[in-house]
Amino acid sequence: MQVTRRKFIKISGATAAGLAVSSLGFSLKDARAHTQMLKTKYAKETTTICCYCAVGCGAIVHTSKKGDGRVINIEGDPDHVINRGSLCSKGAALSQLTENENRLTEPMYRAPYSKEWKTVSWDWALGKIAKRVKATRDKAFTLKNAKGQVVNRVTNIVSVGSSAMDNEECWTYQALMRSLGLVYLEHQARI
Amino acid sequence: MSKSFFIDTTLCTACRACQVACKQWHDLPAEKTTNRGSFQNPADLSFETYKLVRFNEQVIDGKLNWLFFPDQCRHCYEAPCLEVADDPTAIFKDPATGAVIFTANTKNLDADEIIDSCPYNIPRKAKDGTLAKCDMCLDRVQNGQVPACVKTCPTGAMHFGESDEMLSLAKQRLAQVKGKFPKATLLDSDFVQTIYLTAHDPELYSKYAIASVTNKGIIAPMLTRQEALQKMFKPFIAAAKELV
Repeated sequence: MQVTRRKFIKISGATAAGLAVSSLGFSLKDARAHTQMLKTKYAKETTTICCYCAVGCGAIVHTSKKGDGRVINIEGDPDHVINRGSLCSKGAALSQLTENENRLTEPMYRAPYSKEWKTVSWDWALGKIAKRVKATRDKAFTLKNAKGQVVNRVTNIVSVGSSAMDNEECWTYQALMRSLGLVYLEHQARI
Repeated sequence: MSKSFFIDTTLCTACRACQVACKQWHDLPAEKTTNRGSFQNPADLSFETYKLVRFNEQVIDGKLNWLFFPDQCRHCYEAPCLEVADDPTAIFKDPATGAVIFTANTKNLDADEIIDSCPYNIPRKAKDGTLAKCDMCLDRVQNGQVPACVKTCPTGAMHFGESDEMLSLAKQRLAQVKGKFPKATLLDSDFVQTIYLTAHDPELYSKYAIASVTNKGIIAPMLTRQEALQKMFKPFIAAAKELV
């Protein structure tokens, strides 16, 4: 921005007018300059890895030390080698994973053709899932292919994994899927 | 010494991390929006949205360009909102950083008058007339941290630091991009503490990207004659009101 002579006169004129005006009124006390307290000042800091994509950015979670332990803030970890403090819009919204009124805390079930969701117990839900998986798998389990080779595979179930799982969880999960005979193992971050 | 932002829009990918980080740090709620055929979301700044990445599709030299503009308060050196409000308990300038801060006392001001005074169209009012906008994350800055938007920026488009250092960084960066973008320019860099670098004509990015000369603002005469008179009489009117 070039300041031309004309603009300069305009600006200085305006400033002078401002000074003249402010000296007319009552004394304008300088606003008090006290340092504000950070909302994370007394929080506990824990490092974590963002769950959303394969980049694996580091983040610092600030949690309350006042008993409830709820999340106050999550931001990029400046010491993390991958992101050095930065986070994308998904990572920047990490705190909503826990501090979110829309978050479900119990399993919900909607029966076929029903319009209603109802709260069910974990035992009931896991039992239901296991029965359905077993039934679906048994329906299409292939012992041998057309050439007569033993394949022991399931092609009517596909796993799309979960980006919220860590490395060890992923290994356990794929071991479970392969033990069922699944061959279509994908990851949601790639889809 | 004052503090400044330097926002290099040539590096911005419109990931909107700054927008989200701002909401997160200030504990601001989400807004319910509808699909308007643009990725710009929410549609505009609001009492609950201090930072917004503006998306614009512009044809420049026969080629489609998608322009991103992370809009926020410029923290003007001579802030018109502060001058018009004339009430340090409502709008004041933090002496250490130069941040223009709106307090809850903005409720007592004429909100529309303040919004109108801003050459960049930044302040927004709540239903009760309280005004809000970017506060430079003053709590963070006073404790030696950078604002939440700058901290989170993954592409290095957002910078924050001492004003003179930011200005020299901006000039250095301008010189670098001039080869690729001959029309690249710094916006109002001598008047504001949020310096933008745009690759094309700034008006293509946002209607209020620069303080237009026709607009009342920091580059055109700060106050019109009428406003100046109004302001001069303000203390007398207030005193008269107290007497009655």
